[in-house]
Amino acid sequence: MLNGAMRGAFLFLLGAATTVLFRRSQAKRTVWQLDPYKCVQCNRCATECVLKPSAVKCVQVYPMCGYCKLCTGYFEPEPVSLDTGAENQLCPTGAIKRRALEDPYYEYTIDEPRCIGCAKCVKGCVLFGNGSFFLQVRHDRCVNCDECAIAIACPAQAFQRVPADKPYLMKDREHQA
Amino acid sequence: MNEVPRKTEQATRRQFLRRSVGGASLFGLGSATGLLGFPAQAEQAGTTGGGSGGRSLGKEYTYDVSKFFKTDPALIQYDETAKIATGLGELSAVAIGPEDRVLVAGDKAVRVFSKTGERTGEFMLDERPRCLAAAAKGNIFVGMKDHVEVFDASGARQARWNNAGGDALLTALAVAEKDVFVADAGNRVVLRYDLGGKLLGRIGKKNPDKHILGFIVPSPFLDLAVGADGVLWVVNPGRHRLEAYTFDGDLQSFWGEESLGVKGFCGCCNPIHFARLPDGRFVTSEKGLPRVKVYSAKGEFEGVVAGPELFPNQTANPNSTAAHGVCMDLAVDSAGRVLLADASTREVRVFARKK
Repeated sequence: MLNGAMRGAFLFLLGAATTVLFRRSQAKRTVWQLDPYKCVQCNRCATECVLKPSAVKCVQVYPMCGYCKLCTGYFEPEPVSLDTGAENQLCPTGAIKRRALEDPYYEYTIDEPRCIGCAKCVKGCVLFGNGSFFLQVRHDRCVNCDECAIAIACPAQAFQRVPADKPYLMKDREHQA
Repeated sequence: MNEVPRKTEQATRRQFLRRSVGGASLFGLGSATGLLGFPAQAEQAGTTGGGSGGRSLGKEYTYDVSKFFKTDPALIQYDETAKIATGLGELSAVAIGPEDRVLVAGDKAVRVFSKTGERTGEFMLDERPRCLAAAAKGNIFVGMKDHVEVFDASGARQARWNNAGGDALLTALAVAEKDVFVADAGNRVVLRYDLGGKLLGRIGKKNPDKHILGFIVPSPFLDLAVGADGVLWVVNPGRHRLEAYTFDGDLQSFWGEESLGVKGFCGCCNPIHFARLPDGRFVTSEKGLPRVKVYSAKGEFEGVVAGPELFPNQTANPNSTAAHGVCMDLAVDSAGRVLLADASTREVRVFARKK
């Protein structure tokens, strides 16, 4: 019985020690992320990632979005008409969904499985809109390479390592005002 | 509502795994080790590669609007004749005062320049100014984020008006003989005050009975002006048009169309600023595709004051412009010169009609 108690205590101490070690390793752990304010929408996130499709996806910050009828991240620069016809859509993979809200506002949502991170929509949104579309490394799929192939190729040095417990670099409205 | 919830979901999963380790389970240790490693590696194992190896995406993945950044020389009607270095770090607004004095607001100050560009005065503010206007008698009205302050010509504060309320973000001011109009982009409305700061009315709220569609203001730009004809003109940027109102708030007319082409207003929401020429014509400025153009009093495109080529600081890095509030405020003096507050160069750039 004493032997069993000692074994239990040993396991308990082992567990505690493991927990401490794990937490320390978590505190130091970092992941790759790109700074949206440095991003120049060069396409390389789509072509350089070791994953196919890329772990970089477009994200949408709704508080920044203008919910515009003419969304320059959704529509071609010179659309035939402002509807969901394929000829009017900017995204080559059809990864942005448009939904009518109260007139004249529309909601735009990224269909992540279709997004390859080419940043075409980001460019349109940043150039003419509020910049609520931007790229982020999605950590539910990024394999966190020691040397990120995109970071090496990024012409804007937008990639950096960030703490794993704060893995995203978000845009915000205050930055724009 | 945004994509961040996945982050929360992931953190929760990690917390769960962390708790497993806390239970001194070797299984937990194994799971934690797996988490420390690469969570998606196994499922993605068959889809990894070694980078592009020089691969590039096709033309359909390129956003190319370069042709719109070139201006047909035949359309350019103005020359840049002077630049006034404001010395301010962040330009907010430009206005013309009596004797064509040039008033510039920025940082926490208003600076006064002669019409030839010599600095003649300055007064300090308690906070960052957002907009500016001068009355014929010399009083200067400064719009802060949520209220208006009034100064005499020497810069002595005369009054501080009540807070506009709500999500106020004041972006433009215009002074008429007995009224002051204030554009509130945050609440998407124009406020009408008397010269003493008493609120007289709100203009531009959606009202189908009066055929008023309401202002659409996706980014913090809502400009207005009162011309010599006594009509209040307000930009409706999300509808790419300018709307004329009576002082009592009745919609009279509107003009403008969306287009990346030179005759229209580009992007989600333009123009961001405008001013009236002495003969009633309009000068407009746009963001995204930075350009300044002239329209007739009826809203017909006439020509270009300054094309995108004249704003290299803005076009080189769209991330620093667009929604981030680059100032392209406009004013027009009695000689018809166009004065542009260019925040990217921190100058007031002066354009005169070609002879």
